[in-house]
Amino acid sequence: MSPEATALEGRIVANDLTKVFGEVKAVDGLSFSVEPGSVTGFLGPNGAGKTTTLRMILGLATPTSGTGTISGLTYAHLPHPGRTVGAVLEATSFHPGRSARNHLRVFCAAAGLPDKRADEVLEWVGLTQAARYSVRGFSLGMRQRLGLATALLGNPRVLLLDEPANGLDPEGIAWLRGLLRHFADVDGRTVLISSHVLSEVEQTVDRVVIIARGRLLYEGRLADLEGANGGVVVRTPSPEQLSGALAPLNVKVTPRADGSLGVVGATPEAVGHAAWAAHVELHELRAGSSSLEETFLRLTAEPSAPTEPGA
Amino acid sequence: MINLIRAEWRKVITVKLGWGMLLGALALAALGVVAQIASNGNGANGNFLPPLSAAETQRSIAASSGSAYLFSVVVGIILITTEFRHFTSRPTFLIEPRRGLVVVAKLLVAALVGIIYGVACAALTAAIMAIWFAALGVNIGWVSNGILLSMLGDTAVIAIFAVVGIGVGVLVRNQIAAIIGTLVYLFVLEPLTDIIPLVQKAYPYLPGAAAAAVTGANRGSLAHLNAVQGGLVLLGYGLLFAVGGWLFTIRRDIP
Ligand SMILES: Nc1ncnc2c1ncn2[C@@H]1O[C@H](COP(=O)(O)OP(=O)(O)OP(=O)(O)O)[C@@H](O)[C@H]1O
Ligand SMILES: [Mg+2]
Repeated sequence: MSPEATALEGRIVANDLTKVFGEVKAVDGLSFSVEPGSVTGFLGPNGAGKTTTLRMILGLATPTSGTGTISGLTYAHLPHPGRTVGAVLEATSFHPGRSARNHLRVFCAAAGLPDKRADEVLEWVGLTQAARYSVRGFSLGMRQRLGLATALLGNPRVLLLDEPANGLDPEGIAWLRGLLRHFADVDGRTVLISSHVLSEVEQTVDRVVIIARGRLLYEGRLADLEGANGGVVVRTPSPEQLSGALAPLNVKVTPRADGSLGVVGATPEAVGHAAWAAHVELHELRAGSSSLEETFLRLTAEPSAPTEPGA
Repeated sequence: MINLIRAEWRKVITVKLGWGMLLGALALAALGVVAQIASNGNGANGNFLPPLSAAETQRSIAASSGSAYLFSVVVGIILITTEFRHFTSRPTFLIEPRRGLVVVAKLLVAALVGIIYGVACAALTAAIMAIWFAALGVNIGWVSNGILLSMLGDTAVIAIFAVVGIGVGVLVRNQIAAIIGTLVYLFVLEPLTDIIPLVQKAYPYLPGAAAAAVTGANRGSLAHLNAVQGGLVLLGYGLLFAVGGWLFTIRRDIP
């Protein structure tokens, strides 16, 4: 790849980003890139450093070392950041006493955009009815939508959204998914969305950047992530017996949040046969892409923490 | 820059605070005028001011509009600290990462807000005076008694105090701390300075005394700056705080 290609229009690049807060290394030598025309999930457990990384890329926090660039430039050097980059950070950023419409019109003025743009984006995110009400009375989902509306004001070609699905209802999540896919697939924009649960963005993203404790764990296509096309979900009243029965198969068994077990490394047929042979009662047996979630959990688990809590 | 000024102006007019503070300033000014005219000559509190026709009395009544500086300094502080309190600092600095420009736009808009406060309070003060004095058949020497000039000085001080408020708010991001600190300073600490011999010499150069030099209010025995000097000193404080804030807080991470 030529050196110019690294400065591709719309590409987000983190280059050895590090951020230290006192004793805490929130981000630790993190490098990755986010390509135009894709929706990239930025994943990691709570406190992994996602928000801190986004803040550094957006110029709101200064890296202790390393750089974050968009189209090859640090945020402060972008010619019209308000019209090229749209971003929402996790906590809401509104004056409670200002109406949604006035909030947007403030930033229309700042970015040199026509005021009618405020009404357009309000319509886009479905807040036209609430446009003239103070943000004070807005629900979490409405605030998310208004945050998104603010990010979309300048019709940006690069979008960075921190936990955008937080507080959205299922319909809202489906709508957001469609919007982001459209941006990436049809418009060729760059979309980076963070989340601490893979399943939330699994159906939206085509690439993922997974971090934990400020370090990169995986970067690449979601489809290439181990466990993306395999895994079995099995529910049984005697999980320990089943684990024992599965041991000879050399599989990985992980308890899931809902009480069932995730099995990676065997087909549903093999798991079912092993259970039958060991006389273990099964209540559910299915192939699940949920093993992706287990891969995610395994990747991001504390190295010292026990893999099977309570075992 | 003009875009930023428009944005900052919209921030002011789209929330209740600025309007509420304006009403407060107007009420305080009106109260000052009414109380002084009504009590004139009745010797209440052993307060025998010269009669209403005296230039000194007329200037003192007109100076009621000057109390709006209290409101303008608080508005200045809130205009900037509210950004950090409600995290609107994020979209603000995302759209304009050159943070110094945002601060400059805020300083200019605060000055404009202060001028509006000053002019509104002066107009109300003048209107009440004109009507009341006319009813009493007393002449007002608007120009000859220096009333218009003193109102101009008051307006300047009110505007500059709004700028000082921005400076304080940039320096001390915490809204409550900045407001309380400023009021305690103006009402408690600075007057104390005047009576402590060691620092007495510095007193004329302190913000409150500098303001008094502009408005002609007789506060310190050593208040020997003239009006223009006083205004410049006060403005200097506002800009000094703003530059200090830019150096020590605004350039750092935005919460
Ligand atoms: N301003 C700050 N001062 C001190 N420590 C901070 C600051 N911001 C973040 N941290 C610390 O840095 C680490 C990473 O935090 P960050 O908010 O980036 O995580 P995150 O991945 O966004 O988590 P979440 O999923 O909970 O949003 C945490 O340990 C956090 O306590
Ligand atoms: Mg976060």
